[in-house]
Amino acid sequence: MAGDFPWCGMTAQAGLLVQKRLSPFLSRSVWIDIVKFLALVAVLTWVMYRGTGRLGYHWQWYRVPQYIVEVSDGTIRPGPLIDGLMVTFQVSALGLILTFLFGLVTALLRMSNSLVGTTVARLYLEIVRSTPLLVQLFFLYFVIAPVLGIGRFTSAVLALGLFEGSYASEIFRSGIVSIHRGQWEAAYSLGLGTYHTYRYIILPQAVRRMLPPLTSQAVSLIKDSALVSTIAVYDLTMRAQVIISETFLTFEIWFTVAAMYLVITVLLSSVVNVLENRLRTAE
Amino acid sequence: MLDKALGDYIVEVEGISKTYPNGVVALTDISVKVRQREVLVVIGPSGAGKSTFLRCLNGLEEVDSGSIVVDGIPLDDSKDHRLQIRTEVGMVFQSFNLFPHMTVLENINLAQTLVRKKSVKEATEMSMALLEKVGMPEKAGSYPSQLSGGQQQRVAIARALAMMPKVMLFDEATSALDPEMIGEVLEVMRRLAREGMTMVVVTHEMGFAREVGDQMIFMENGSVVEEGPARLLFSSPQKERTRLFLSQIL
Repeated sequence: MAGDFPWCGMTAQAGLLVQKRLSPFLSRSVWIDIVKFLALVAVLTWVMYRGTGRLGYHWQWYRVPQYIVEVSDGTIRPGPLIDGLMVTFQVSALGLILTFLFGLVTALLRMSNSLVGTTVARLYLEIVRSTPLLVQLFFLYFVIAPVLGIGRFTSAVLALGLFEGSYASEIFRSGIVSIHRGQWEAAYSLGLGTYHTYRYIILPQAVRRMLPPLTSQAVSLIKDSALVSTIAVYDLTMRAQVIISETFLTFEIWFTVAAMYLVITVLLSSVVNVLENRLRTAE
Repeated sequence: MLDKALGDYIVEVEGISKTYPNGVVALTDISVKVRQREVLVVIGPSGAGKSTFLRCLNGLEEVDSGSIVVDGIPLDDSKDHRLQIRTEVGMVFQSFNLFPHMTVLENINLAQTLVRKKSVKEATEMSMALLEKVGMPEKAGSYPSQLSGGQQQRVAIARALAMMPKVMLFDEATSALDPEMIGEVLEVMRRLAREGMTMVVVTHEMGFAREVGDQMIFMENGSVVEEGPARLLFSSPQKERTRLFLSQIL
């Protein structure tokens, strides 16, 4: 107890009194953190303000809302930024599904006994992970897409799925490998086949370990989806570029777009957090 | 040794050998036969290949040469045969290997519903009866992490029994247990032997081996040094090596 409040040299009893008074609100260390954070924000804002002042930048925040929601004749409809956000959502969601698919299949192929399977999986991993996503995107859109007759949206989703899938497959594989050998043996000794063993024994345990790294992979995917603007998919980033070229609201729009990306990724992380907690309590 | 009539041969092992990929010889030319209702005890120093031998019997390890036939089914390259044999042979591991994400009841129900295609209701009836038998019906809803080592091993035995196996393999089932929990697990095994379960038991519990063992083999360096009726092997071992091992361990 005596070590509880070393920074103010209080006795344990006095410290307890202080703690009692503060506990309905926040403990002292949290207040210090908040003050530090606000100071940091203040300094950054000041630097920003001074810098843009020297540039002679003319802030026009009041013009931004119309690009988020359009109000005309008393009806409200989503503005171009929200439209773009929806496309980013679609690209990311479909890309995520492909990521899981490619990731899981590749992981299973790599761990299989089939020589063809492991070779195909390793070839895919090596190629995809040693070339830039932008190059893959261009390759898919300008070379593969005309051959297969697919559109730019499909190319974008496919490129994202292939790229992130290669990383996801390593997450799946390490998650599966981390399950103790005894679990396989126990399942096999009960007469379970490979499919049932994966489905009921290995994957349910592995998923718990894979969730945190998979979440950061999903966040990466959402951020990387901004690259699809380069093949003229009208996602959030593309919309922002168009608006800026028309209005020169460079700073305002990029700040807004960054905040919108931040909202999605933070939202995703917190959903997974809830999921993780639920899985943990189920154990 | 218990009073009971032994049946026909149910496990027939003929000259199996195994060498690990790194060149270590695990088993050399081992031939063993087990009759129905017989308890075969396998003893020997660690590294003798006892566990490897046991794990070959249900195909967890592959042999390089020799043949294994269980209940008339040859353990060969056929996947179906391997699954059939694993369904008929139960195994209990040193480290329990319960499924940690499932309750005790789910652990015991799983293979009954998936492999034996029973309904959940039928499986649950069987599981509860088996939990009753190993003395812990009140733990049906618990997770393995909430149980002691001895309780976990008793659940593992119940899980294996739920498949109505014709042969049970015990791989040092009490070696990972605290001393005060060994008794409860041995008691369950003893009861099984008395009920006429065919068992192959790798163990260091010599008291138990002498009490329930019908046949016994002593292994060292991957080969069988001596085999015979358990009581005979304990009272008058023929080989010097067996005598030395028993004198050290008893």
